[in-house]
Amino acid sequence: MSESVNADATQMSGGRTDSDAIVVLEGVHKKFKDFSALKGVDFKVGKREVVVIIGPSGSGKSTLIRCVNRLEEHDKGRIIVDGIELTLDIRNIEEVRKETGMVFQSFNLFPHLTVLSNVAIGPRQVRKMSKAKSEELAHELLTRVKIPEQAEKFPAQLSGGQQQRVAIARALAMKPKVMLFDEPTSALDPEMINEVLDVIKELAKDGMTMIVVTHEMGFAREVADRVVFMSDGEIVEVGTPSELFDHPKDPRTQKFLSQIL
Amino acid sequence: MKTWLRRNLFRTWWDALLTIVFSGVALWAMWSVFRFVVFTGRWEIIDVNLRLLLVGRFPKESLWVLYGVVIATCFWGAAALGGGKVAGAREASRSEQLFAAVRRFGLLVVVGLLLVVLAGVRESMWFVVAVVGAIVLGLQVKKWRRSIAKLRQIPAVIWHVALAITPITMMVLVIRSADVQLWGGFLINFYIAVLSILLCFPLGVLLALGRRSSLPMVRLVCATYIEVVRGAPLFVLLLLSGVALDFFLPPQIDPGPVFRSVTVFTMFTAAYLAEIIRGGLQSIPKGQTEAARALGLPTVKIIFLVTLPQALRNVIPAQIGQFISLFKDTTLAGAALSILEMLKISEAITKQDAFLGRGYIYEVLAFAGLLFWVGSYVMSKESQRVEKKLGVGQR
Ligand SMILES: Nc1ncnc2c1ncn2[C@@H]1O[C@H](COP(=O)(O)OP(=O)(O)O)[C@@H](O)[C@H]1O
Ligand SMILES: [Mg+2]
Repeated sequence: MSESVNADATQMSGGRTDSDAIVVLEGVHKKFKDFSALKGVDFKVGKREVVVIIGPSGSGKSTLIRCVNRLEEHDKGRIIVDGIELTLDIRNIEEVRKETGMVFQSFNLFPHLTVLSNVAIGPRQVRKMSKAKSEELAHELLTRVKIPEQAEKFPAQLSGGQQQRVAIARALAMKPKVMLFDEPTSALDPEMINEVLDVIKELAKDGMTMIVVTHEMGFAREVADRVVFMSDGEIVEVGTPSELFDHPKDPRTQKFLSQIL
Repeated sequence: MKTWLRRNLFRTWWDALLTIVFSGVALWAMWSVFRFVVFTGRWEIIDVNLRLLLVGRFPKESLWVLYGVVIATCFWGAAALGGGKVAGAREASRSEQLFAAVRRFGLLVVVGLLLVVLAGVRESMWFVVAVVGAIVLGLQVKKWRRSIAKLRQIPAVIWHVALAITPITMMVLVIRSADVQLWGGFLINFYIAVLSILLCFPLGVLLALGRRSSLPMVRLVCATYIEVVRGAPLFVLLLLSGVALDFFLPPQIDPGPVFRSVTVFTMFTAAYLAEIIRGGLQSIPKGQTEAARALGLPTVKIIFLVTLPQALRNVIPAQIGQFISLFKDTTLAGAALSILEMLKISEAITKQDAFLGRGYIYEVLAFAGLLFWVGSYVMSKESQRVEKKLGVGQR
């Protein structure tokens, strides 16, 4: 089964991506009560690919990426991450969660733990790393997101931008194969947006596979291999940044872009 | 001074009136207490019966172990919990430290002295000195651990176990040196309270988690338990435990009144605690669980590493409040189960030949009340401090 999936992915993903698809969604439906948030989404992300999802509020962007690590359960269709299909089996779910890192709009750091413990908790508790090793890794990652000096503080003592960078380090600590970002800069003051975007750009440069929901169009243009436009629970249009931003085909895409640009 | 007075106490005629009225009330209350303590109170009844009030019929020859436990526990408590600045607070100057210490311990010292005078514990003065000494030493040990590099390298587990060994062994010694049924007075109140607190805490946590479980049967059982127990008066449960516990136990086992009461206090307080903790769990934002799930943490670890620690910290004052009521409610065990606890003994000694029919009950109750007040006050004050200490960096 995964053979055929991989073959498909080769054709789907363009740009500088490698051959195999690492995230595959086939006909994914999601309902909240009787409201359809996702109406049959087909979508593939290749290894080392950066996909940016844009679209109006309420179009199902969050729901889509939250289905990828099972924070939401899809009702119909298939989701396969790194060859593991998400089913009711909790082992599969936990396996997928180990392979995907998520960064939330509202940071969601653990307020009762120091910055260092926030980053170390994943590898220590899930990957069973020793305390010393996990803290060494945490220090390394905090250096990578440029806040090594904040390790002993508590989250509430940091600025929003710093907190979000800790959240990125926390997700990276699990050595994920895919990173999911749900509007990572939407809760930040304008002057802090760039420090977070810079960290994400560097991840892209290092070849991390990423799905990023964002309203930062400049950022999307710069790092995205493909941009996905969503509206009303559907993927309306997919293309390279220049295709989608400069020559949008669908009238809904055109309307959205004219509103925000 | 004058401007301070004007600004704070007499800004308007209405403020002035309130200030005067409340000062009057405070002065009158203070005078009444003072008159009672120094002039009208007949404290010889406490003096004569002090040992009975504090430890009941606990054998005299084993008393030294009991003293030892109190001293060792004070040392342990000070070394484990005590001291330590609230992180983030700036270095305080000497005078500020002194002021803080007076505010923290002043009232306790006054009351302690009062107790010593009232009870005429002159010959037990050495004990008071030893307790104070143990606390000071404990605080010092704690400071040493912070500042001496060698001590800091000892892992926390070994350190705390080493400190705890003495008091715990001594407690075991105490428990073995005299049948619990012989214990009485304040000792038995304290014992029942401590044992019930230790037991009801895990039970309360489990009930709270059970009530939020995704399994309907677990939820139903926990919710029913909580609602039934909270709906019953404590005194009725205590009376019932004299009979009802036997339905669940084999006939050859009689737990005795002390353990009957511990069971009731544990079960009763656990139900209230469960609701408090559940409230704490509900106040944790959904994002916390989601972030933990996204990391791949299994459900049990999410609860015990992420949500529960935050929930427990958020409801420390309410939990301590519950423990304080439990502590005070142990006085009901005397009337319900004929345990010779403080209140029961207080009442009994007023019927001794020397005191019968002369209204000594006021003095005795005042003394008992004072002891309970000291216990409750220490718990509440220390909990505030712990809360501040843990609250570092909170939102
Ligand atoms: N837990 C939920 N319960 C009910 N409706 C929800 C829930 N989560 C999202 N929705 C609805 O699903 C739609 C898509 O939401 P979302 O994926 O958050 O959109 P976006 O992230 O694109 O703004 C919205 O209309 C929202 O109201
Ligand atoms: Mg969203």
